[in-house]
Amino acid sequence: MIPAQFDYIAPTTLDEAVALLSQHADDAKVLAGGHSLIPAMKLRLAQPQLLVDIGRIKGLSYIREEGGQIRIGAMTTHYQIESSARLREICPLLPEAAGQIGDVQVRNKGTIGGSLAHSDPAADWPAAALALDAELRAVSSKGERGIKAADFFVDLFTTALEQGEILSEIRIPIPKARTGQAYLKAAQPASGFAVVGVAVSLVRDAAGKCEAAAVGITGVASKAYRAAAVEKALAGASLDEKMIAAAAAHATDGIDANGDLYASAQYRKHLAAVYARRAITAASR
Amino acid sequence: MKIEGTQEISADRERVYSALIDPAVLQRCIPGCEKLEATGENTYSARLRAGVGSIKGIFNGAVKLEDMQPPSRYRMIVDGKGQPGFLKGSGEIALDEKNGATLITFSGDVQVGGTIAGVGQRMIQGAAKMMATQFFTAIEAEAKARPDEPPPTHGFFRTALRWFSGFIRRSVAR
Repeated sequence: MIPAQFDYIAPTTLDEAVALLSQHADDAKVLAGGHSLIPAMKLRLAQPQLLVDIGRIKGLSYIREEGGQIRIGAMTTHYQIESSARLREICPLLPEAAGQIGDVQVRNKGTIGGSLAHSDPAADWPAAALALDAELRAVSSKGERGIKAADFFVDLFTTALEQGEILSEIRIPIPKARTGQAYLKAAQPASGFAVVGVAVSLVRDAAGKCEAAAVGITGVASKAYRAAAVEKALAGASLDEKMIAAAAAHATDGIDANGDLYASAQYRKHLAAVYARRAITAASR
Repeated sequence: MKIEGTQEISADRERVYSALIDPAVLQRCIPGCEKLEATGENTYSARLRAGVGSIKGIFNGAVKLEDMQPPSRYRMIVDGKGQPGFLKGSGEIALDEKNGATLITFSGDVQVGGTIAGVGQRMIQGAAKMMATQFFTAIEAEAKARPDEPPPTHGFFRTALRWFSGFIRRSVAR
């Protein structure tokens, strides 16, 4: 449990950090909260030659409202999001998902940006980012760009971030009135990771019918995904028990599920439909 | 762990078969393969470098091809180990003609052990699928290239390295 030797630099500005990354290319690794990377290094599964610690950069940890969006700095910890009274009011899915991540220590140190950039196939944030239609801002020495959550997760631990880019901010459209949200997960009892996690954000019309729904599912496949068939079935539907169950049954349509010793692919698919039903029901209350 | 799948390649069966058993082609197509040398008839020693990013994991192993029935099927036996863990397995690869294209069906049983298996169990199947896809995409490019053309260069190499470093990194419980 002792990592291999590595160099460590803690830049104080984002410019410095991206310059270091482009200079060291493949040898450098960004350190955020360190709750995925450091354990891997201790097991010597990861042996980066240089850690660029972005934890000393000021102004990467915040939650604010601007331009009709909620803007969250990449270094904002899960706990900061979990405990935000304002988020609980305007976008309860965020604190709800944050509160279900790992344990207290992980939530105190782990960051939303680190988790998204890492793109663990069972992490909680990717499902929430998808259901909230988030835009992820990436900074490099060449400038800044926005990546839609739907385009961000490419494959197992693979994101649309390019070499030399750092995820700097998460932007989420402020949910409209009559929006209901929920995040429900079946946690692996040992690791706390989602065997299945379902994030739902739905808007109801004045009559109480579902106007539009967004459903993000994590844990099932090699990356989190939007359950398009569920969303389609919900659009315009009255949110009664029967309709919800029928829509939720499409949770893994067209999805290549993965299995492991704990949960087979078939079991995961079953769980996805069950948790989708429960999450939609919770969001529609 | 069982690994099963099918992959359709739009190239003719003989070309695909010969690509699949050509060590030079395999070396170019296996994600991260640095070396693949014949050590006997249909036996090879291989060396995979698992990334230049956060990982410098190197796997050494032996590959053996058996029951070869060109151009329709063969059996592959793999045995490898490296610092992050070890891998042992065997599988059947069958090639069928399908509307001028080739349908590859592979099914095998793989045992993974060591640190990777201990802490990254939940990731192994996804990782295997991803590597298989990268491999067959590259094989398709090889089989489609004309014999007198230089071999295609694969952009997936970089992707493979990036992925693998990610895989290893995340192969631990939080």
